[in-house]
Amino acid sequence: MSQEIEITGLNKSFGQGAAAFHALRAIDLTIATGEFFTLLGPSGCGKTTLLRIIAGFEEPSTGVLRINGKDVTGLGPDKRPINTVFQSYALFPHMSVAQNIGFGLKMLGKPKSEIKATVAEMLQLVRMEAMADRLPSEISGGQQQRVALARALAPRPRVLLLDEPLSALDLKLRKEMQSELKRLQTETGITFVFVTHDQEEALTMSDRIAVMSAGEILQLGPPQEIYNAPVNRFVADFIGDTNFLRLRLRVKAVAAGEAVLELPGGKQASARLPASISPPVGSLVTAVIRPEQAEPTPAGQGEMQAVVASATFFGTDTHLHLLLDDAQGFVLRRQNRPDQPSPAPGTKLGLTFAPGALRVLED
Amino acid sequence: MRGHGWKWLLCTPALIVLLLAASGPLLIVAVYSFLSPGNMGGVVWDFSLEAWFRVFFRRDIFEPDQVELNTAHLQVFWRSVWLSLQTTFICAFLGFPTAWFIATRPRHTRTVWLFLITIPFWTNLLIRTFAIQEMIRNNGTINAVLLWTGVIDSPIQMMFTEFAVLLGMAYVFLPLMVLPLYAAMEKMDFSLVEAGYDLYASRLNVLWHVILPQVKPGFIAGSILVFIPAIGAYVTPRILGGGRTMMLGNLIALQFGQGRNWPLGAALALLMLVMVVGALIFYLRVVGRNDGVRRG
Repeated sequence: MSQEIEITGLNKSFGQGAAAFHALRAIDLTIATGEFFTLLGPSGCGKTTLLRIIAGFEEPSTGVLRINGKDVTGLGPDKRPINTVFQSYALFPHMSVAQNIGFGLKMLGKPKSEIKATVAEMLQLVRMEAMADRLPSEISGGQQQRVALARALAPRPRVLLLDEPLSALDLKLRKEMQSELKRLQTETGITFVFVTHDQEEALTMSDRIAVMSAGEILQLGPPQEIYNAPVNRFVADFIGDTNFLRLRLRVKAVAAGEAVLELPGGKQASARLPASISPPVGSLVTAVIRPEQAEPTPAGQGEMQAVVASATFFGTDTHLHLLLDDAQGFVLRRQNRPDQPSPAPGTKLGLTFAPGALRVLED
Repeated sequence: MRGHGWKWLLCTPALIVLLLAASGPLLIVAVYSFLSPGNMGGVVWDFSLEAWFRVFFRRDIFEPDQVELNTAHLQVFWRSVWLSLQTTFICAFLGFPTAWFIATRPRHTRTVWLFLITIPFWTNLLIRTFAIQEMIRNNGTINAVLLWTGVIDSPIQMMFTEFAVLLGMAYVFLPLMVLPLYAAMEKMDFSLVEAGYDLYASRLNVLWHVILPQVKPGFIAGSILVFIPAIGAYVTPRILGGGRTMMLGNLIALQFGQGRNWPLGAALALLMLVMVVGALIFYLRVVGRNDGVRRG
């Protein structure tokens, strides 16, 4: 696969000297052609700044940005084969839906007949044919979202940037637009760079995710890898729900990348140990296990023993808040089934988990 | 309207002021325009259409039946409209970048700039106009500097020209254009500008297709605020324009003063009112419409 976007040694700081704010530090990133790439992180992590640099609204302080092999550092947004879907949609309020969609083509100096044909095609693509003559103020938020998408796709950019485009929509509409976006990306084959702080959105749509914090990319990889093998505590905490346990390291490197930890209650279990860290044997380490990767067993069986403290009902599943033998908390996700009522507080039960579910993390 | 019946009383003081200070005098002016002039000013209570006739036509002094178009009056009308249009245009041209500059400053410094814009309002108009006169008269500051540096050999005649009137009016009315333009720009969503650039628009195209349509209400409000007082301006053309560049306000004042023809003055004043209202309606119809959007 060819490289669509290539970022090397990119830094961005606002302000001067000691008061300077470093929004981005030493970013190296390549995004492949046709990829659905997501920048994920909490607000203020620099993901929007990175997007704005790719779009050309901001200049990097240092570093090079290449699009399709061509250095575009210093080129304005009107000179880059990139279009943006803005968080606020930024539809031109004085233009009709059709005029909004045709604006980019008109500015590129395309003939009227071509603009008309493309606008019709785009209206069909986002299923807004009936709304062509409406003003943006006369359509709903979800419809404005579709128009913003159509407007950005109409000039057939190489790359489409999406800045938290779904954050203003309600949950049901957001789910709908997620699959809609994925469909559009597959149909058009355009590279999507998507910015979001919603980890679920990132996991469901992306080919690859870059998790960002404080101006740095902490982990870069496919959703499964990010979820199953978070590189540090921040990523583990930010993506999905996780149980953090303080456990003693008993044996190191049984096999490469493996360790044995002592569980509350005294039993021992094997855990994955990333090659990047090397805590001394006998020390306390942080280990994580996802709430759905542990299973309840009858009391006395399993690796650990626990008491149910409380239960929270979530519809498809219930979160059981447990207390382990050494008083550490543990959340267990249990799928709801009509024939298996959730255990009452005070119930004793055992816990078991698959090998590989337990991971040692960098603190 | 349950229990709110008395609330209209709240606006009665304002209504009384408006009635006494605006509608009443206007009615008197309308009545006067159909009466005959008194010898020493004032009016004689004889119904006459002579004043309205005299607005447009002139009678020969010796043979009153010989009638010709009153070109002097028409010239004043035309000059008033033309100078006011130019003033509006100059204010818009100078006001737009100013308002843009202020609107793009950080929030806390905008107040300072707006404050600076309103400073001229603190000084009496008459004094400010005399100050301009001091700058541009033949042995005034500008000519003195130009003569001293040898750029010119003899003073440039600036006083009593249309240029002087334009300069004075543009100066006086500029804040009235800047403020509504700023208000419109402040409300503007600046991500629209980025969207414009993002969609391959050049700077000029962003200005034309994105920014101007957004600040159009500010332009409309500003043009009205500048044009209307400009067309009836009195002090500025009187001091800076003298007799040669008389405008409507001066012509009307002349009729109530040395001219001793109150009915003619009243008719001219009413005609000005009609012109302004007419221009306003025309302007709002043409410029204020929502152009370019077809309704399905």
